[in-house]
This record gives sequence, structure tokens and C-alpha cells, in this order.
Amino acid sequence: MHSKRRFQWIMLAPVLILLTGLTVFPIVYTIVNSFTDYYYLASEAKQYVGLSNYMKVVKDEVFQQAVWNTTRFMLLAVAIETIVGLAIAVLVESMKRGVKILRVSILIPSLLPPVTVALIWQMMLSNHNGIINHMLSWFGFDPFNFLMDIRIAFYAILFIDVWQWTPFAFLLIYAALQAVPKSQYEAAKVDGANSMSIFRHITVPNIMPALLFVILLRTIDTFRLFDKVNILTGGGPANSTTTITQYIYRQGVYNLQIGYGSAAAIVMAGLVLVFSVFYIKRSIGGAQDELRH
Amino acid sequence: MKKRFAILLSLVMMVSIFTACSAKGPDRLVIAARGGSHVTAMEAVKEAFEKEHKVKVEIIGLEAADLKQKVSLDAKNKQGAYDLIMADDPWMPEFSEGGIFANLSKLGVEADDDFEESSIALGKNPYATGDLYALPFSGNVQLFFYNKQLLESHNYDVPKSWEEVLTIAKDLHADGASGYVIRGQQGNPIVSDFLPILWAYGGQVFDDAWKAQVNSEPAKQALNTYIQLLAVGSNYETTDIVSSVSEGRAAMALGWPSWFIKGEDASADYAPIPAKGTANAETAATGMIGNWMMGVTANAKNPELAAKFLTFITSSETQKKMVEHGGVPTRKSVYLDKELSAKYKHFPTQLEALQNSVARPRTPKWSRVEEALGSELSAAIAGTKSVEKALSDANQAIDQIMQ
Repeated sequence: MHSKRRFQWIMLAPVLILLTGLTVFPIVYTIVNSFTDYYYLASEAKQYVGLSNYMKVVKDEVFQQAVWNTTRFMLLAVAIETIVGLAIAVLVESMKRGVKILRVSILIPSLLPPVTVALIWQMMLSNHNGIINHMLSWFGFDPFNFLMDIRIAFYAILFIDVWQWTPFAFLLIYAALQAVPKSQYEAAKVDGANSMSIFRHITVPNIMPALLFVILLRTIDTFRLFDKVNILTGGGPANSTTTITQYIYRQGVYNLQIGYGSAAAIVMAGLVLVFSVFYIKRSIGGAQDELRH
Repeated sequence: MKKRFAILLSLVMMVSIFTACSAKGPDRLVIAARGGSHVTAMEAVKEAFEKEHKVKVEIIGLEAADLKQKVSLDAKNKQGAYDLIMADDPWMPEFSEGGIFANLSKLGVEADDDFEESSIALGKNPYATGDLYALPFSGNVQLFFYNKQLLESHNYDVPKSWEEVLTIAKDLHADGASGYVIRGQQGNPIVSDFLPILWAYGGQVFDDAWKAQVNSEPAKQALNTYIQLLAVGSNYETTDIVSSVSEGRAAMALGWPSWFIKGEDASADYAPIPAKGTANAETAATGMIGNWMMGVTANAKNPELAAKFLTFITSSETQKKMVEHGGVPTRKSVYLDKELSAKYKHFPTQLEALQNSVARPRTPKWSRVEEALGSELSAAIAGTKSVEKALSDANQAIDQIMQ
């Protein structure tokens, strides 16, 4: 019995060491730093400052704006990406020809690194040389200052994120759609159900785990929105596109205020947990229910 | 048999790896540099040094923020990854006080009189008077760019004050052109674009006791002018600024020489930045200096050799060669070289601008100050805050940072 247990621990050891080194230690180190005035280039040792960093972070208007922007961005991006992804998946699933080509071409944007996406769109949205403004001028519109106009900048970044990540939502939902038993559709048709009823009572319940998974992954990912904002707007105009991650980067990485940046990072981790705990609880609950069955 | 073969193969691989690791190649100097034309210019001239000192010079080109981050994080390592680093001049106080740079005097590198005074002053800490930590590598200074045809079509000369700039911009805007282009992206761009106007109106970011002064009357006048210029102009990023002024869709803008001037050709005309707010006001120095500095890291593997390379790359002879590859000189002898100044028509204007230039405030906290000021300036031009409120909030934020 003892040797079996020892064997189990030996097998687990590499994973435990990796987890401790790459996850547990950084989290603990960040929490510890968040209570200090740690400035990376300081010659003096860091001092314990209690909750002062947290108080400053929470009171900072730019951070409050960043939380609002991030939350608004997350809600809009996740909703649009999931709904559009679902619509495309249902459309492609119903198609009889050209499915393979369409499937691959739809996925291309999500294969690109976010930095590349940001740079491509920076060129396309340029006032004078960008293709978008050239196309708009054909229809008689004046050039739009997409990334410098406070009324448009946020939505321009939202559009780019939706363009890049809707294919990811499509992929997961499409895979789930293909796993729905065809017999259920046939039975519904025999019973005289219309398309809407079939979608509501058969398709949606069957793909619900996939939908929740998409929502969970996109929620976490949109909360970390950084590259596009940093490259395209620098958080402006007037902080209208500043996100929490960009705020943490500016404070903790660029300005090297590790203590302050750590406090902002812990607050952000807390917010992500608040938004994702429902989904995580539901998925874990679901998995446990399946195990019981 | 298979087991023996596997063990033998593993042993051979391990021996190969150890041999490769312990093999001693030629000496190597690693330079962390700002990517783009600086790297191209260094790559073009480094061979002579490599041959003379039997060393391989590896130049890593990085985007500005990435460079600052990587260099700072490497500073705490006992032995650094970089022997030499480039730094934007506002980073100098933070880097010098943070122990990133080695003291050059201790490595036998001295500042000679041939360097333009305003440039060499940036490499010393405290500014202009202290020990030498870096030498000026690239002598950038902001200039006033304008479309000559557009101005001449309305019988205007190069404006001497910001009041004149505004008058011209309004007139040209009435005729359908963009009068003036601001570079209003939040952060470093808008601050670099606004400070010359602030200085022209007699404003300053700090007083002598490092108390913020951005809610002063001159600052309000400067920001009002800036907003009025935007009302009759545009707010673009670099590429659009260059194309719009060069192609005559916009009349005037501030910019760094390398944006408009490529080799011997300039896509727009240029002059020193207008030095006063109103026609009757006193003149002030307004040309923002933005030199890229180079120094030896305090944790360099080979500091003596790095110091020799620094002397080589900033020498008059090397700078003359680098000019051909996009290098921007920092030595008077290069700007005054008859052959070069005949070929590069912008040299006299650029030297004049350098000689009358202003450095951004020399504080290790400048990055944070710039961020706070940039955020409020952006709010003012976007109209989410009044000029008074934005400048008052900026003043408060800067004072908090400086505490």
C-alpha cells in the first residue's frame, strides 16, 4: 500500500514542482509585493506599506475608467462573438457544398497573433493611406479618424476583437453542433416541430456546454485585452480605451512600480474570478454530476 | 542491443552538448538598440571594429517601450545580457540613478568638445554637470515642418510665433486644407507635440523646486492654442502626419527629422519651431531635444571592450560614415563638414535647432509624469474636460508623483 502511494507521489512530483514554480510561487510573490513599495530600480530594500497600494489603485480615476472599459468591452465582445459565432456555425452546419473551404477561411483571423492583427488594422484604418477610408470615400464619406476619435476608438477596437475571435467561437460551437444526435432532429420533424422550436429545444440544449465553454474562455481572454489597445490607441483618447491589463503594464512593467502594479494585478485577478466563478462552478458541478451518473 | 544503442546515443549527444557549450568562440559584444535606422547605420559600419578587435558585434533592435523594459529587467542580473544599451534621453536620470549605466569616466571614456553641448549634457547625471554615463548617439531634435506650396499659395512665410501659425491654419482651413496636424495620441506623442508650444508661451512643467506648473496662465494659453489648431486641422499618427503635410493636404506640423527627411531628400520644408506664443512676446527655446544615448551597462561582460566600441561608434569618422545609412550626427564637426552639409541640406537647420534645444525635465519619474500629463491633455482635446480642469488635474497628479 505504502509503495503504491509512494509511486503515486513520484509520478505527481514533476507536475507539482512545475505548478509550484510557475503558478503558486508567482501568485504568492505578487501578493507579497502588492503590500510593498517595490520599485525595481530602487537601491533601498522594499518597505511594507500595508493596504496603501490597494487604496491608491481603487481611488485612481484611470484605474476606475480601465475597469469600466474592460467590463464593457468584455460584455459586448463575449456577447457578439458568441452570437455571431453561433449564427455562422448553424449556417455552415446547414450547408451542403463548400463547407471545407469556408471552415478554413473563416478560421484565418484567429490564427494570427494579436500584435499582427493590431498592426494590420492600424494600416487599414489609417486616415490617408488606409483601405477602409479609401472605400468609404467611394461612397462620398469623409475620412473617419477611427483611432483618435473618442466616439469611435472603443468600438473600432471592439470590432477588431470580434473580427479576430468570432472564428474561435464558431469552431467550438460548430464542433458541438456536429455531435448533436441526428435522431433527435428526425424525431422532432416527425412530431411536426418547426425550425425555431428545433433550434430552441434540441440544438441549444445540446450545445449548451460548448456555449458556456466559449463564454468562459472569451470572458477570461477579453479581460486580458492588451496588445490591440497598446498598439492602436495607447489607451486614449482620454482613457476611453484603457484596459486593466494596459494599466498594469504601464505601472508595473514600463514604470517598474512592481508593488503598485502587483496590487492592480491582484484586483484584476479578483474581478476575473467574480465574472468567471459562475461558469467555473457550473462546469465543475456538471462534471461531478456526470461522474455520479 | 537496442538498450545499449540508446545509452550510447544519449552519451554521444550529452558529450556533443557539453563540447558545444564549453567551446570558446570569438569575443562578443551585445548591443540593445532602438530598432530601425539606428541599427541599419551601426550594422553598416561595425565591420571595421570587429576586424580590429577580433570581436563579433551583435545588435538587437527593439521597439522603444520593449527596449526600456528589457534593459531595466536585465539590470539586476549579476552579469547582464547586454554590454551596451541605447536609451531615449528622458530615461537618462532613471537609468543613471538606477545603476543601469557604468560610469564612463571610470572606463576611460571622456566627453570631448566636439559633441554638441546640448547633446552631451544629456549623458551626464545630474544633467549637464555630473558624471558621464552615456554618449549621444543620435542627435534628434524636433523641427517645424510645413508644405511650402500651400503656404506660398496664400502668400505666407514661415511663421515665427504660434499666433501666426494659428492665423495661417485658420486661413488655409477655410480654403479646404487641414491647417495644422497635431499628434494627439495619449501618452508620449501628445506630450512631445504639446511641450514646444508650452515653452513658446513661457510655460514650464516644473519650477525650480520641482513643483508642477502646468496649470499656469501660459499653459492655459498654450493648450487653448493647441485646441484651436486642432479645430482647424487634424489629429493624426506619424504616418498620416508625414503623408498629409508632404502631399499638401495639410499645411503644418511638428515632427522629428527622420520622419520627413530620408537621405538627401526632404518630403516637406522645415524650420526651427516657432519660438514665441504671440508676435510681441519674448522668444524662448522650443526645439525639443530627443537624442538617443548609448552607454556601457554596469553589469557588462566586457566593459573595457564595450567602452572602446562606444568611442568608435560615436567618433567623428564613424558618424560621417553612418550619415550615409540614416545616422543622425551628434558632433559639430560632422554637421559643419563642407562636403556633408552641401549634400544634406538640413544639417545647418538641424544644428541650429540642436543648439537652441530644450531637454524634457530631468527627473527619474519623467515616464510617470509624461503619462499623467498625456492623459489630461488627451482629455482636453477630446473635450471630456475643460482646459482649466485638465491642467489642474494634471498639476495635482504630477505633484502626487513627485512626492
